[in-house]
Amino acid sequence: MLINVKNLVKRYGDLIALDHFNLEVQEGEILGLLGPNGSGKTTAINCILSLLKYDKGTIELYDQPMTPDAYDIKRNIGVVMQNVAIFDELTVYENIDYFCGLYISDKHTRKKLVAEAIAFVGLGDFKKFSPKKLSGGLLRRLNIACGIAHKPKLIILDEPTVAVDPQSRNNILEGIMELNRQGATIIYTTHYMEEVEQICSRIAIMDKGKIIAMGTNEELKQMIKSGEHINLELLNPEHLELSEITALPHIISAELTDHQLVVKSGRGKNTLIAILDYLKGRNITIGKIYSEPPTLNDVFLEITGKALRD
Amino acid sequence: MFLFNYRYRLKCIFKDRQLMFWTFLFPILLATLFNLAFANITSSDNFIKVNVAVVQNEALDQNPAFTQAITGADDLFVVQNTTRAEADALLQDNQIDGIITFDPDLNMVVNQSGLNQTIIRGFLDDYVQSNATIVTVVTENPGSLENGILNGISSRSEYLTAVSASQSAPDPIVNYFYALIAMTCLYGGFLGVKEVVAIQADLSAVGARINLAPTNKLTVFISSMLAATSVQMLELMILLTFISGVLGISFGDQFGYIALTCLLGSLTGVTFGACLAAVIKKGEGIKIGILIASTMTMSFLAGMMSTDIKYLVMTKVPILGYLNPANLITDSFYALYYYNTHTQFFTDILLLCGFTLLFSTITYFVLRRQKYASL
Ligand SMILES: Nc1ncnc2c1ncn2[C@@H]1O[C@H](COP(=O)(O)OP(=O)(O)OP(=O)(O)O)[C@@H](O)[C@H]1O
Ligand SMILES: [Mg+2]
Repeated sequence: MLINVKNLVKRYGDLIALDHFNLEVQEGEILGLLGPNGSGKTTAINCILSLLKYDKGTIELYDQPMTPDAYDIKRNIGVVMQNVAIFDELTVYENIDYFCGLYISDKHTRKKLVAEAIAFVGLGDFKKFSPKKLSGGLLRRLNIACGIAHKPKLIILDEPTVAVDPQSRNNILEGIMELNRQGATIIYTTHYMEEVEQICSRIAIMDKGKIIAMGTNEELKQMIKSGEHINLELLNPEHLELSEITALPHIISAELTDHQLVVKSGRGKNTLIAILDYLKGRNITIGKIYSEPPTLNDVFLEITGKALRD
Repeated sequence: MFLFNYRYRLKCIFKDRQLMFWTFLFPILLATLFNLAFANITSSDNFIKVNVAVVQNEALDQNPAFTQAITGADDLFVVQNTTRAEADALLQDNQIDGIITFDPDLNMVVNQSGLNQTIIRGFLDDYVQSNATIVTVVTENPGSLENGILNGISSRSEYLTAVSASQSAPDPIVNYFYALIAMTCLYGGFLGVKEVVAIQADLSAVGARINLAPTNKLTVFISSMLAATSVQMLELMILLTFISGVLGISFGDQFGYIALTCLLGSLTGVTFGACLAAVIKKGEGIKIGILIASTMTMSFLAGMMSTDIKYLVMTKVPILGYLNPANLITDSFYALYYYNTHTQFFTDILLLCGFTLLFSTITYFVLRRQKYASL
């Protein structure tokens, strides 16, 4: 097992940031750690990395207890922190070289690795730039390069794509999957469910310092009652009686705003046909119809009773 | 690792414009300002000499060593041998700065406090043998000196065989520059703060990155501190060259000792800043604020704004002088410049070493904690 965390408890004064947090990470996977702001993702990562003291629990990496001077373990880890961690006084190139140099002392190897990291995040045109002159998104990319230049086997990324434009974000996500294909295990922390859905082989959903659900994207969605969201555009909704819709089998809720009817259905067959039959019987004309599969937000909503993003 | 980090730290320090301004340009500007301000007060041939009257009596005749010493210091003192009555009259008229008389103990009579009186005291101080005492009599307003000068003298029992002033003539203006150099040494604290902030995970994001790396933090820290001290030394050497070469202020001819003082002063400054940064768990702004306030206070007490302050501290609360690194730095320059003996000098240097050790130890114990309660 690559990472094994058991019953981790971390308090900041009276606040319990991690409340018996358990996590197992297998080699080769991309694990998504998904949770709203303040759920304890960063705290968990910092404890695992032995940066933070914790009150209770055990943390093992590569089947060895993780400590601040477990250099053999640390050598294999690359971290992209939530806060941009670079020196303003150094150029883009120098920053990557410095942080890579903390792991790799051979000059030639380092030169090659730094060049690869620069290509990876697409900062080739900015090598000699001072970080002060980079935009927020470019800075984030530099932050990523500094964390992964030494080609670590385990890469931990804490919300690396905040403030990065969609185009570059996709490039970064693609890059992360490529690193994974090359053999790196990835822990990816975010509060964007789209990102974890896109790249993660396994997802852990966190809330209030605990992991409340864990599994593949499909497994998580299987766990909950709600199936799809059916959206119907009604041209003459005056004739509609909402209570009659919710009375249909497998319907969880129905909502009408203007001409838009949104029906949340449970897992059952022929739900859409039943709705269409009802609308036909009422002589309601239908414009567009589309249906969405359940999202991780639904999973979160159903377990915690609140939305992932407010 | 050591050299790798050292080189990058040098780069980071040199590229930090604000830091370079305060630790490098600012002292040079201040030196230039001092020079402009003093240009009217003293011209180079108007070096102050200390006028003393030595009372001619039997006891003096029994101490030929003293006569030899004081006449040997002829570029420091203008000596007149007079009777006691004549001496009193001269002192009354402010023709002389003080009277030295054997009675049969060594007596120092002054009627005011100031730099020249300090010089006399310092001279006697160094002359005094372990069993001798100096009695100081203040003629006009005895309250102004109280017992400070007495305590200072009798508590120190330096045993010196040969006392003679160094080659250079004393110039009170030089004291301001000494204090300025002391301040510059202590401004090394800015560098110390910078280096500690850069490697502490709870003080900066880059610090967290360094803590994640498979490198010994102490190695990184020592290499960083060395980089800071190197920059500091370079800056001080340029400042010294500027003051002596461009402004024409002489520091005497003992360059090695002066460099040693600067080195120890820088180390004290850098470790002071590091200690401050490690201990005070507040923002970087507050750390810098405290650093500036304490450095300025120390420089002020060491006589950067007025030499009288230094004298006052020396006479009223001598212990404060020993606890003030800035004062130790000016004192060691002072010792080099005014006396040929190195007793006082090495006392100061040793005390500076002590401060460096103290600050480093405290910093080490804070840095040694490898995990943080909060980031
Ligand atoms: N240094 C600290 N001192 C006190 N409380 C803290 C500290 N750091 C974090 N917390 C608290 O601990 C809880 C977990 O914070 P953490 O940063 O781990 O959340 P997160 O899941 O990473 O959130 P985000 O998505 O905003 O990054 C929060 O309630 C936060 O307010
Ligand atoms: Mg976070």
